[in-house]
Amino acid sequence: MTFALLLTSILAFSACTASVTPAPAGEEDAADAGTTGAYPPGTMTVYGYGQPQYWQQFFENYLNDHPDVAPGVSVEMVQTENEADARQKVQLSFTAGAYDELPDATASAPVSMKALADGGVLLDVTDYVEQFKDRFVPGALDQLYYKDRIYCLPKDLRPQLLFYNQEIFDQYGIDPAGMETIEGYIETGRQLKEASDGEVYLSYIDPGAFTWRYWGRRGLMPQANARIWDENGEVVIDTDPGAKLAMDTLATLNEEELLYKSAIFQPPLYDAAREGKVATFYIGAFWDEFLRKNLPDMEGKWRVMPAPIFQDLGLGGAPVVGLECLINKPDPVYADLYKTIWEAYQFDADARQTWTEQMVAEDAPYSNPISVEMLQDDFWKEPTPYYGGQSFREAEANGLNNVSQNLIVTDKDAEADTIISAEIESYVAGNQTMDEALANMGEQLRERIGTAPVD
Amino acid sequence: MSSNSIWARMWKKRQIYLFISPFFILFGIFQLTPMVWSFYLSFHEWNGLGAPEFIGLGNYRFLLRDKVFHSALRNTVIYWLANSLAIIPLALILASLLNHTWLRAKRLIRTTVFLPYVTATVAVGLIFNMLFDYNSGLINSLLELIGLAPVPWLTSVQTSKLPVIFLNIWRITPWHALILFSGLQAIPHDLYEAATVDGAGALRRFFSITIPSLMPILFFSFITLTVDAFRIFTEPYILTQGGPANSSISIVQYLYINGFSIFKLGLASAVGYALTLILLIVSFGQIIAMRRESGLMEGN
Repeated sequence: MTFALLLTSILAFSACTASVTPAPAGEEDAADAGTTGAYPPGTMTVYGYGQPQYWQQFFENYLNDHPDVAPGVSVEMVQTENEADARQKVQLSFTAGAYDELPDATASAPVSMKALADGGVLLDVTDYVEQFKDRFVPGALDQLYYKDRIYCLPKDLRPQLLFYNQEIFDQYGIDPAGMETIEGYIETGRQLKEASDGEVYLSYIDPGAFTWRYWGRRGLMPQANARIWDENGEVVIDTDPGAKLAMDTLATLNEEELLYKSAIFQPPLYDAAREGKVATFYIGAFWDEFLRKNLPDMEGKWRVMPAPIFQDLGLGGAPVVGLECLINKPDPVYADLYKTIWEAYQFDADARQTWTEQMVAEDAPYSNPISVEMLQDDFWKEPTPYYGGQSFREAEANGLNNVSQNLIVTDKDAEADTIISAEIESYVAGNQTMDEALANMGEQLRERIGTAPVD
Repeated sequence: MSSNSIWARMWKKRQIYLFISPFFILFGIFQLTPMVWSFYLSFHEWNGLGAPEFIGLGNYRFLLRDKVFHSALRNTVIYWLANSLAIIPLALILASLLNHTWLRAKRLIRTTVFLPYVTATVAVGLIFNMLFDYNSGLINSLLELIGLAPVPWLTSVQTSKLPVIFLNIWRITPWHALILFSGLQAIPHDLYEAATVDGAGALRRFFSITIPSLMPILFFSFITLTVDAFRIFTEPYILTQGGPANSSISIVQYLYINGFSIFKLGLASAVGYALTLILLIVSFGQIIAMRRESGLMEGN
């Protein structure tokens, strides 16, 4: 009841003021502040998730290095739980007309970006972003377009990578190069299992929602050219050969007991890695920051390589774009300041390198630039002690070669994820076969969503 | 005429109405308006932006056929039954122990017993998460120590509700023990002395004096337990996130996911009303049962 009341209270206030939406500020209005350099003293607020405190450091560095740009302006990064939480907070303030409470920008992802753009919550930044198009790595803007417009700035584009414990491979005399293909990856898992008497697992499997997110949506599904929806938005996941290939691969890994069953990002999984029970972490460049932060005592043992590919398809994993969206407030006084700092992040090599070194020193997350020019600097090829001298940054850049297309994202995909994930969870829990899981995914998606409009 | 006289009477007592008006004003703004609005919303499809689209009884019809809602409803009923069957007897035993004359350091023990209730559920949830972890949890270590196989408490469809139930029992029992304890203290001691003189044993005294005297408090406990059980959220959210495969999801969690994760706010409102209806039916049934029970007792 408390929740029902809370929900209804918020909705009531939201709805009462929903009709009073601000007129879009437009790019010209927002540009005024930037050209004069006069930003009113105050706080530029940004909603983030993950670890936004480290992103804040770049802003603080910039304001300290350029005291004349925005004197009296500070930056506050508000930690939200996840993409949906950030959207919820922005959306409720916006529809309630509480513009003073709105942030100046928010982190987001394609599903929420589309909904917020449709609702007029985000500033259209098409012309601004497109002027940099040629300076970015290929594919950097692919996930940004919605109805031919751009509503968010790209922060980074992270590839899918495979992290492996070299020490384990040395111990059992197995060549990690065998993991260049998915077929080889499975075979390597079998060899490790046999050589270690079942002590070493190839990787992990999460009993919750992360298995779909990382093994499915970002990993095996795009690599297998799989589809949830066809071009008309009809559900095809249960009939698509790519989806069958992706899910059968996961089933093989799981049923041959090559995956250590443990919740991701939790101490037991790190303990297992520390004890040499988990040989690889599939998939995603983000594992870099988690390994450095949680397994600092394993420095020098880990290595990184591009995500394994299906031999016949040859596609690496789908890259993940980080989105930073400017909010369409009645008077977005800091919109241009945000853009200025974002430009420094993307194109000011010194500022970016200083910040990256800070992040390395703090075992904090950082990613490669998406600027082609900046990536050519040797700094982004420097050896990384944590990876035994291998350059993680270079590996991250190489990971963007040969990427697969992301799955089509519709505004129904947040719900679709909960449906698909529930079926995979049921499979992982041993409650159904993978074939049954796939059939149930199709049935449930049709029953609960039907057709998803593909824009 | 009569309405005029009502207004006239109200005007005559306007100062009294003025004094009680803050409650009604706040109730109107923060509870009544949202309730009416969400009722309106429950007949619409709305993602929180733009105009709601009228879909009639679509959301309610969807709930009737949605497997996840059925699962949430079934799980919530299981949580309620487990609460009712375990917490009240345990609370009664605890309260009786606290009420014993031979108990020393009573204040310290009462405070200690009450601690679980005042501990933050999220913090305890995280600790229970570690306790019930399949690979490194204390519970499985103990099981292995006595030669039993480890149990996938949090990751099996069959067992995922158990940690939620254990956490709930551990957390809520002290609160009800305290309520029952205050009830026990209010029972006149003469009754027990008279019964003892008449030759009644401890069990007889318990069932013929303690239980009937505590009946109104037991009824209160039962109702609050029911309401608490039907709005359970934090425990499954922290321990299992409602999984695996929605096997431990509760109704309020289902409401939350629909409202704040996938932004089907009309459906979430319909869930709120379905929950209200279920609670009304269950509470009404409990009231009738209790009245019948107390009627029988008075008859005895």
